[in-house]
Amino acid sequence: MLNYRVIAIIKRELREKLFSKAFIILTLMIPGLIIVFGGVQALLYTTESKGLKFDLVVENSGLLKDFQNEFSQQDFVTKKNYVFNYLQITREDFKTYLQNKKQQIVDEKLTGIIFIPSSALKDKKIEYYAKTPQNISLSRELERPINKIFLNTFFKSKFLSAEDLDFARSGVDFTGFKVTKDEKIAQEGYGNIVLSYALSILLYISLLMIGQMAMQSVIEEKGSKIVEVILSSVSAKELMTGKILGSAITGVAQMAVWLGTILAVSSSALITLPPEVTLNIKTDLVIYILLNFFIGLVLFVGLFSMMGAIFDNAQDAASGNMPIMMLIIIPFFIAMSMMENPNKPYIEIASLFPFASIIVMPARLALIDVPVWQQVLAVIINLLTIYALFPLAGKIYRIGILRTGKKPKWSEVVKWLKYKY
Amino acid sequence: MYALEVKNLTKTFDKLVAVDNASFEVPEGSIFGLIGRNGAGKTTTIRMMMGIYLPDSGEVSLRGVKVGQEFKNQVGYLPEERGLYKKMKVLETLLYFAEIKGKSGREIHKKAEEYLRRFELYDRRLSKVEDLSKGNQQKLQFISTVLHEPEFIILDEPYSGLDPINTNLLREIIIEMKQKGKVIIFSTHLMDFAEKMCDHIVMIDHGKIILKGSLKEIKSKYSQKNVSLTYDGDISFLKSNPIVDSIADYGNTTGIKLKDANQAQQLLRMLLDRNVTVKKFDANDISLQEIFIELAGHEDNGTNGLSAEAERAGKKEVRNA
Repeated sequence: MLNYRVIAIIKRELREKLFSKAFIILTLMIPGLIIVFGGVQALLYTTESKGLKFDLVVENSGLLKDFQNEFSQQDFVTKKNYVFNYLQITREDFKTYLQNKKQQIVDEKLTGIIFIPSSALKDKKIEYYAKTPQNISLSRELERPINKIFLNTFFKSKFLSAEDLDFARSGVDFTGFKVTKDEKIAQEGYGNIVLSYALSILLYISLLMIGQMAMQSVIEEKGSKIVEVILSSVSAKELMTGKILGSAITGVAQMAVWLGTILAVSSSALITLPPEVTLNIKTDLVIYILLNFFIGLVLFVGLFSMMGAIFDNAQDAASGNMPIMMLIIIPFFIAMSMMENPNKPYIEIASLFPFASIIVMPARLALIDVPVWQQVLAVIINLLTIYALFPLAGKIYRIGILRTGKKPKWSEVVKWLKYKY
Repeated sequence: MYALEVKNLTKTFDKLVAVDNASFEVPEGSIFGLIGRNGAGKTTTIRMMMGIYLPDSGEVSLRGVKVGQEFKNQVGYLPEERGLYKKMKVLETLLYFAEIKGKSGREIHKKAEEYLRRFELYDRRLSKVEDLSKGNQQKLQFISTVLHEPEFIILDEPYSGLDPINTNLLREIIIEMKQKGKVIIFSTHLMDFAEKMCDHIVMIDHGKIILKGSLKEIKSKYSQKNVSLTYDGDISFLKSNPIVDSIADYGNTTGIKLKDANQAQQLLRMLLDRNVTVKKFDANDISLQEIFIELAGHEDNGTNGLSAEAERAGKKEVRNA
């Protein structure tokens, strides 16, 4: 099958597609975005963890100790290096104190002043003075420890034990643990969901892009009548094979660049991602995805080429290839819906279903452990689909590329299958 | 032995029989014409010879062996509707077409450049095809047809859409190839071109072969009762003359068909007696056009486009006469 004619066609396809300026720019744009995204994440993470200085002013002297004890154990003090200066000042004196500190806040030598009046024990209202007081992440971080102290103080007089209090106070802490065959059970961050999203989107984009390009190229060959010249040298089967392989190689190369970038970003020492979005991507996953994608591309490009051969122009083809587009779009949405719960029953089926597995399986692999037999089965099912569909697609292609004139009806296309060509 | 033999080819599209049990032979070293009006089945026949279509039945053999990839490699094919990759560069295009014929390397590169120089396209070798004029694109297509030194050159309606310069250029190439001993097969609906260029012909109409053989033999066979006449004056008296079977006016010349081959002298005497100025009197001469109309012109049920219409109109005139 891979004779010099097919190789010549593949070479031409690669020159036209893989090495075209537009394609290279498009392909490199995505890694650019990935690096920028990773860089921004890392940047945010590092700036946020810089030391911030606060004055914590308490009106009720009895609470001072409680705050010191509680805050010193918090993550934002131990990990993020927030520095608290604890003071006891009455409401009357606080105004003068604030006046004195004003310049420091404006100069950003002091991040902010948190004032906890005695009344807070009844109405839980505290005050925060800063250059940028609307700081959601700060208020989220401080809310819990402060509330804890208020509650402790409140229940102290109600004769409850500290254990009872702890239980009453605690919310439900839902920590996800990814269970794998490995010994250790790792705490799971958002990284896998991000990776799963990224894989779905990248596979989706690339499938559409390569598929459309392949279809355009068949339409061009048909429209410019060059196909007859080519067919005087090679058989339709060789032409189709060369074109499909050329496109599939192009797509895999594109995907390799993209996944390679993710792999590099996630393992690079230059960009440190926050632990909850660390991408857990491994080389063997990348290799599997590329293989799975190659087979998927062969399948889809075959169908897109068939569509290109049926129609004379891009408009007719655009409406005609809707069914094939659906085979890409629906799996994409299934993959997206998986982020919520990767264990929905239809997802397992979709990850094995021909066509759908090309996007759904990698997205699923990023989230959960899929048995190896399922990974292999998905590939085999796609190969069998190719085996079953390609003789038909090939025949339609062979007949279609030499037909011109009015747009054929589907019933006519079905009739083509009976022709001897 | 014949270079190519076509045996009982049949091809049906849906209900239309495009080629119906066609058989003919292409001799070595010949310029072979496949003639017929538009839609007669010429292109389908050629496509079957090239293996682009599979015939419903019948086969094509190359020097006794059924054609296949071997034949494709030896053919330079110029289809009626020519096409090139618009975004490809000129030299790149030539090398690609040679490559899929199995010719690559330095030698073919050198040869491509030679051809480009000869056809005054060398300066444009790195231009994209879409930037060439239509005439230059046609030249590029000719080069790509012959660059790989094919044994057979198949040209489907080669003169359609060519400007006069390229028409001459193509004729030059055909003659050159003939001198090199190549077999040239071309299809055309233009009878006078076929008459000037071909030494062997096949006439095809409604998918059926209606005539085949060497042009010389065919012409001598059909010309026996025919007189080709160029004149000034009035020859309307001939219409009712008992020795005349039919008269066909082709503008410059008039074809007169006699009832008996021996009556040519009698016809000439009659013309002179009636003071018709005879400029050219060619007994036993017939144009391919006349033969074609005689054989195929009586069918009116075809949907064969303009040329067929014109031929039918011509025929009616003859009948009225």
